[in-house]
This record gives sequence, C-alpha cells and structure tokens, in this order.
Amino acid sequence: MSSILFIALPLLFGFATPILNKFGKNAVVYISTYMQAFLLYLAFTLLSGNSSHIEIISIAPPLGISFVLNSISLLFVTLFTFMMTLFSLYYLSHRKTKPYKNETKFFILLNMLLAASIGLVLSSDIFNIYVFFEIAGISAYILSSYEKTPSALEAGLKYLITGAVASLFLVFAIVLIYMNLGSLNLALIAQGFETLAFNTKLLISVLLLIGFGFKVEIFPLNFWVVDVYEGSSTLVNSLFSSIVVKAYLFVFFHIVYLFLPSGEFSVFLIYLGALSMLVAEIAGLRQTNLKRLFAYSSLGQVALIFTAFAMQNVDAIQAALFIVIAHSIAKFIIFLALTNIEKEYKSMDITRLKELNSPFLRAVMLIAMLSLLGIPLFAGFIGKFLVLKSLAVSGFIGVLVLIIIASLLESVYYFKLAGFMFSKCEKGEVLKIDFVQKLVFIILSFSLLLIGLVPFFFSDFLHESATFMIDNTSYILNLVGGR
Amino acid sequence: MSLKRTLPTSVLSGFALSGAFILTVLQLLLQNVPKDIDRAGDALLSLNANEGVANAVTTVVVYFRGFDTLGEIAVLFIAALGIGLMLGENERCVIKAQSNFMLHTGAKLLFPIITLYGVYVMSYGHLSPGGGFQGGVIIASGVLLLLISHRDFEVPHSFIVWLETFAGVAYVLIGLIGLLTLDIFLGNFLPHDVSQMGLLLSGGIIPIIYIIVGIKVGSEMSAIVQSLIKRGDNV
Amino acid sequence: MFEYLNQAEVIKYIVTIGSMSLFFVGLFGLLTQKHFIKIFISIATMETSLFLFFIGNMFNKNFTAPIISEGFTDIAKMNDPVPHAMILTAIVIGMAVLALGVSMSIEYYKLTGNTEIDKMNEMRH
Repeated sequence: MSSILFIALPLLFGFATPILNKFGKNAVVYISTYMQAFLLYLAFTLLSGNSSHIEIISIAPPLGISFVLNSISLLFVTLFTFMMTLFSLYYLSHRKTKPYKNETKFFILLNMLLAASIGLVLSSDIFNIYVFFEIAGISAYILSSYEKTPSALEAGLKYLITGAVASLFLVFAIVLIYMNLGSLNLALIAQGFETLAFNTKLLISVLLLIGFGFKVEIFPLNFWVVDVYEGSSTLVNSLFSSIVVKAYLFVFFHIVYLFLPSGEFSVFLIYLGALSMLVAEIAGLRQTNLKRLFAYSSLGQVALIFTAFAMQNVDAIQAALFIVIAHSIAKFIIFLALTNIEKEYKSMDITRLKELNSPFLRAVMLIAMLSLLGIPLFAGFIGKFLVLKSLAVSGFIGVLVLIIIASLLESVYYFKLAGFMFSKCEKGEVLKIDFVQKLVFIILSFSLLLIGLVPFFFSDFLHESATFMIDNTSYILNLVGGR
Repeated sequence: MSLKRTLPTSVLSGFALSGAFILTVLQLLLQNVPKDIDRAGDALLSLNANEGVANAVTTVVVYFRGFDTLGEIAVLFIAALGIGLMLGENERCVIKAQSNFMLHTGAKLLFPIITLYGVYVMSYGHLSPGGGFQGGVIIASGVLLLLISHRDFEVPHSFIVWLETFAGVAYVLIGLIGLLTLDIFLGNFLPHDVSQMGLLLSGGIIPIIYIIVGIKVGSEMSAIVQSLIKRGDNV
Repeated sequence: MFEYLNQAEVIKYIVTIGSMSLFFVGLFGLLTQKHFIKIFISIATMETSLFLFFIGNMFNKNFTAPIISEGFTDIAKMNDPVPHAMILTAIVIGMAVLALGVSMSIEYYKLTGNTEIDKMNEMRH
C-alpha cells in the first residue's frame, strides 16, 4: 500500500464531508475514527516491511517531489497516527456529555493537522515542507480558537501572528536557496550547500533558524507558547504538545543534518537548548494555573529534545527519540486527564488537585509525571539517562550541569503536584470516567510502563532510526539516483 | 505654535532593530550576487515539451509540483472553513445608502462579462498566461461586485458547498486514479501527444485539474468574501 | 545613464535594494504597531517585498516568457517557470492566512471591543 494514502485519505475525507453528512448525524465522527484506525494499521504494516524506499509523486526526484520512507520517518508516522486514533477514541466518549458545535468542521481540522504533520515528516522537498508547514499552522490556529471565547480568540490571534512571521522567514530562506542553488530538492541542496560562500550560508542558516525557531519553541522565540496553551481548550493542547511540535522538531533537525553535516552551529544549538530548558523550568515554578504549568513543562522537555538532537552522534539522537516517544505519550495522558478535571470542576487552578477524587485519574497522572521526571522503571528514564551520558562523553559539562539543575527544578513542582493530588484534604465528589476513556488511559500508561521496563526491546530499532538521521550519503544517493 | 513630539522609545528601538537587520541582510545579499547556474527550471522546461502543454508555468504548477497545488487548495479550504466558523453565524451587514438604479443595472450588466472572462482565463490556462487561480479570483471579484451593489444578494450557501466538494473530491480522485493506473500519485494518465500542443484538449489531465482548481478557488473566494460581509450589525 | 541602468546586474541591485527597503518598512510596522489590522498590513508588505525580490532577481530581460507559441519555440531562451509557480502558491497561502487573521480579529473586537495587541489581557500573565 502506498504511503500517499496518509495524505490523500484525510484530504479526501475533509473535502467530502458534505457528502458524508448525508449518511447521518454521527457518520462523520465514526468514519473519521475508522479512517484513522486504518491509517494506524497501514503505518504498522509499512513499519514492519522493508525499509528505506521512495514514493514518487508526479515525476521522479530530484526534479519532482517524493516521500522518503525509512525507519525514522515511519517511526514518527506511527507515533502520530497512534496518538490521533486514541484522541478520536477519547473524543467519541467525551462528546456524549459535551460535544463541540460544528463537529464536522472540528474533525476536518483534526484530519488536516494529522495529514500535514505526516507530510512534514515524509517529504523530501523544501517547498513542499513549507506548504505542509502552512497547512499544519492554519489548522492549529483555528483549532486553538475554536470555542470563540475571548481568551481562545486571543490565543488564536497570537498563534496566527507568530506563525505568519515564522513562515515569512522560511519563505525568505527558500527564496535564497533557490536563487543560489537552483533546486528545491533536499538532497541536491545538501550537495550544493558546502559550495556556497560563508556569508550566504550564514544568512540562510539564520533565516531557517528563526523561521523554524518560532515553531520549535526555542528561547527567545517561545513567548507565545504558554498563552496559546492557556487560551485553547485543554483537549486541543494535547495535540499541540504531542504531535505538532514533534513534527517541527524532526523537520528542523533533518534539515540541519542535511545542510550542515560537519556541525558548524551545533555547539550554539546545544547551548541554546540548555538555556531554553533552564528558563522554562524557572518560569514554571511560580505558576498556579495547571495548563500554564504543564505548558512550561512542555517547553522544558522540548528544549531537552532539542539539545539531544543537536549533538552530532548517534547515541544522543537515539536518546532524543526515546524522550520524544515518552514525552508525547505522557503529555497526552496529562492533558486528557486535565480535560476530565476541567469538565468536572470548571477551573484549572492548581489547588483543584487537592479535591480530585478519582483513584484512577490520580494513578494515571502519577505514572505520566514520574515518566516525565525520568524516574527509573518509567519511559522517561532511559532517554534522560542516555542524553546525560552522551553529554558527559562529549565533554559538554556545562550543559550537563544546566540540564541537571533544570531537571531538579522540574521535579520540585512535580512533587508539589503529586503532593496536592495525594493530600488528605476533603475530597469532592467521585469523578466518574467513561469506559472508553479509561481504555485510552490504560493503553497509554501501559505503553509508558512497557518502554520503561523493557527499553532494550526498542533500542535496536531506535538506534537504526538514529543512524538514518545522521547518515546523509545514503539519503542523498537514494534521492539523486532516482527510485 | 511648535509641534514638539518626542518619539517613544519603542518606535526608536523598532526602527533601530529593523534597520540593523535590513542593513546586514542587504550587505550580505549585494556581496554575493548569485551566478548563472543550472537551475531546476531549465530541466523542467525541456521536460515540459513531452507533456504537450504550451504554457510551462502551468505544467510546473499543476503537474510537476501538483502536490504543492493540492496543499495550497487545502490551505484555502481550511481558511474558508475557519472564516465561516468565525463569522458565519452573523447577519449580513446592511448598506445604508439608497439603492441606485445605475449601480444596480451596471453591476448586473457587468457580472456575466466578468464571469465569462474568468471562465476564459481558467480554461485557456495551459495555452496562454492565466490559469485556475487567476480565473477563480476573477469570478470571485464579480461576485463581490454583486454583493456590494445589491443590498440583499447572497450566493446560496449550499451551491458553494457542493461546488467546493465536487472540485476537491475530483482533484484527489484524479490523483488516486493516477496511483492506481500508473503507480504514481498525480501521474498523467490521459493521452498527451506533443502534436496536440496549442489545442484546447491537450496535455492530458493538466487542463482538467486547472479547471477544477479554478472552480474551487472561485467558490472558496466567494465564500470568504461573503462571510466577511456578514459581520453583524453592531460593528 | 539609462544604458548603464539597463544592464542586468544593475537592475538586480536596484531590485534588491528596493525590495529590502519594502521589507524594512514592513518589519518596522510589525515591531512598533499595536493595532491588529496594521500588523496584518505589515506582514502583507513583507511578503510582497519577498516576492518582488525573488521574481526581480530571477528575471532575465533578454529571454522570453516560458510559453511555447508561434515564433517562440527556443526553449533555451525562456525564463525560468519554477519561481512563478512557487510565488503563485505562496501568494495564495499568505492571503488565506491573513484573511483568517482578519476574521479572527473582527470576532475578537465584537466580543471585547479591543483592537490593540498590548491590551489583550484575557489571561492572567
């Protein structure tokens, strides 16, 4: 089966919704869920098949656009479809009590977001990456301001303005690349990039860094993130932190490894990532709103992934992939649990956790928080440990110290949250959770525990994926040589 | 009377920051003027002859980079969806001026001509400059003319929705048919002889896709313009 | 003097300087203006300047348009079609995003009566 279906099916669904609406009021929701489950199945079959081939669109590369399927891109595709299917399952039971108005439009936007994130990860042409960048961006702007309350609209406006500025710088970089190198294919650009004058290389790299930096949430370009997380609905926050930012991270570092293989700016990027993590964790200490607190925690973890990706060796990238998987699943659990809490208590103040009277939710959130902290036996431990080990081996002791301080600060407020959750205060009413939602939580927590307890099961596959990210020559030969 | 205005610090710092950025960029750009190198466009120009289409820009937009065009259609679709979501439930703003006989008649006279011109630009996009986007926007500007000149004109919402649906589904289905028959998404599976170049029916799927793009762009721009006229009366 | 100005390199210099000045105007507006619509206009100005810069620099005045018709069949002497295709896509995408932004600010103004970006205080900071 072709990997184009990952993009074509959600687009077809989105365009055909007025026809699908004729089949009944709930038809769109169920058809969307089945389609996403089918895409998940397709991702698993592609993952277990033979790796590293190319799907051609219209004409063969390097003159045309193509999709490159290897372990690392398929890993991200599987992760995204997995998250989105579970999100749809959760929403199926969430809508019984609190459906969105205009649900069809909500599902169109969800599917467009999924298609765009998958397209970002698979594509091998820089202008195509820009088009998917815009599709993901515009779906996210609308999803963020979906409820049309003043705070949601404020979040949407801030997101839109920063996103438009980011795409400006990206267009500038693409324009300069085509003018100087004459091609839009990532492999041909990578071949020609070293021959450019140093000034032009510097200008293009800085423009790409600013353009992607807004979306990758790196200091000082992450001023918009926390307000957007607070203003959007909690359900949509889970998508932002689990799917969208991971796609942008992968594309940014894919481009960095292709264009600058000798790592000229990698030291700068490592320090930038460590600084972002420290700033995010310090700012998160004083928060009393749960959504803002977890937004700062997201910023910190994404900065850690950024630092790990920026180091130029395979072990660090393998560690980064571990953290990507662990963080996506853990934040997904947390934001979905926060949706339940918000539905019941109508407030996102941190003291609400004291009244939380649902042993299931407390257990699930505890598992997710322990994984984010990096406690052994949970999924986050192996990633953090491998990152610190790579930093020590490569000699970045200062960065190591910064990250350890930031992790300690993070643990301070996580333990405070855990203390609130398990405090002996007067509890509110029992929070009933639907069976389907419980199933979703159980699947997610089980995955976290699985990765935490038997990481060696996955480490070979992740090691192979990491080599694909660093190894330019096979990527370039694949594309320039044709199919 | 002296006009003494001190510029606030934000304006000065903004000026200095943007000025510094632009001067650096300008210096870098003027130092390294790009040389004449082999560009992808030259290779694509020679490939274009095989497709039997006269306008090379059309071939590049629709066929060689057809996936980008599909993505752009998706962006326009999502934008129209979002604008309809934000402003769709309001009533149409009422123009308070008295309706004018000349304006009415003139607009009604012009609208078919504008639409005809738009259809011409759309369908001859592969033979002369023009194409789906341009033709679609021309048709939407005709609709805008009618919206402004008549007080209660409204394109029926279901009409726009069905046009959009038909066009979008047709585009993706053509791509999928290419996948089934040629094993390449958006491959050119209809006959495209070079000898037909310059005739209206040439180039295989290329004029068909461009007309579909034109229909979609025209209907979506009309929907956007119509939603923007609905702001509610208290604004 | 006009022959000097008509040379290809000088035209490219003029185009570069002109479009970068336009970019400067847009960037200045983005950094200092507070009203939503003015910010959107600044972003639109910056996008337009980039398109000007690209098309102006890729244009060769001795070559013809990339359309094959009677009398113009020499492919080696045609301008490059790829920049035109890229800019078409970029124009439509930029316009779509700005239209969405304008509609969001209209709805926000309807709900709160606020049009300044630094007075958006719906959330505690």
